[in-house]
Amino acid sequence: MRSTSFLWNVCKSSFTFGLIGLTVSDRVASVVPVRGLSMSPTFNPPNNTSSGLFTDDHVLVEKRCLTDYKFSHGDVVVFCSPRNYKEKQIKRITGMPGDWISVPSSYDAVRIPEGHCWVEGDNPTDSLDSRSFGPIPLGLIRGRATHVLWPPQRVGKIDKKLPRSGLSF
Amino acid sequence: MKGRRLFTYSGGSVISNSEFIWMGMPNTIMKMFNKSIVFGLVGITVTDRYAGVCPIRGSSMSPTFNPSLESFTDDYVFLEKFCLDKYKFSHGDVVIFSDPTNYKERCVKRIVAMEGDYVSNVNGAVKVPEGHCWVEGDNSAFSSDSRTYGPIPLGLIRGRVTHVIWPPQRMKKVDRRIPQEGFAF
Repeated sequence: MRSTSFLWNVCKSSFTFGLIGLTVSDRVASVVPVRGLSMSPTFNPPNNTSSGLFTDDHVLVEKRCLTDYKFSHGDVVVFCSPRNYKEKQIKRITGMPGDWISVPSSYDAVRIPEGHCWVEGDNPTDSLDSRSFGPIPLGLIRGRATHVLWPPQRVGKIDKKLPRSGLSF
Repeated sequence: MKGRRLFTYSGGSVISNSEFIWMGMPNTIMKMFNKSIVFGLVGITVTDRYAGVCPIRGSSMSPTFNPSLESFTDDYVFLEKFCLDKYKFSHGDVVIFSDPTNYKERCVKRIVAMEGDYVSNVNGAVKVPEGHCWVEGDNSAFSSDSRTYGPIPLGLIRGRVTHVIWPPQRMKKVDRRIPQEGFAF
């Protein structure tokens, strides 16, 4: 009799903690690994010879920004890829609505429409970003990366670095 | 068991039954508090991930929702989010998605074309790119939809509307009606 009520209490507590964890992960913050080199040297700098689960950078992605924050230049965001809704990508916002972005392949300047943003990776040579698929709607964004949590020697806040090139006025 | 007896021993002193009930009050309140927190969390998780109810405003989906301008209350619909896992959307689904022009707002429209289809627009035939879909309101004259802002990425979709649940006289399943005009091939 006592062991079943103890088991029941353990079940209830783990269910409650599981729910709390799920809600926090959905609405407050979660930890995600970063794969690929499109954001070198901010994430996964080229010193790593092998990339696996333990050598990928892990970042803290906060989700409070989705309700009452205004995104701005330099934010690193996680968003659903516009080409493949099942994938998530992480890039830096380099243009906000109303900005003009000079596309190197053509002589035109692209104006970012209302409700969209221009994202680029910090490593332009190895990055599939808005230069390929154009501006993305802000509704695709799933969170904002604020801190690097792994590896321990690079734990710290992520800077809001403004892009070097491109015109925005 | 507890509280049946008129007098109870507590730490050597005798307390009356009414005092005993008062002592038990904070415990009951704590239990109710815990239960309401758990139910609140369950409600939040279910609404975020599985299903929810939301009101429809505007007349861009007349007569499917809000058929008359003089209705006292907005239609309420039941939306399910199981579709978001596998993204099995198809022609005729009514979906709720983040407005591409203002990410803080939501829109509800019907999917008219999926990726790879050609849609005839005022500027000619447009091919819907991969990962996107073309949405239009049932009330074409009063709807700002893909004819205004182009195809939307499937990642913007937040749920699929399955039933109208208010007002009671129009409670029914929402049909997957293929629109009469427009070309999808």
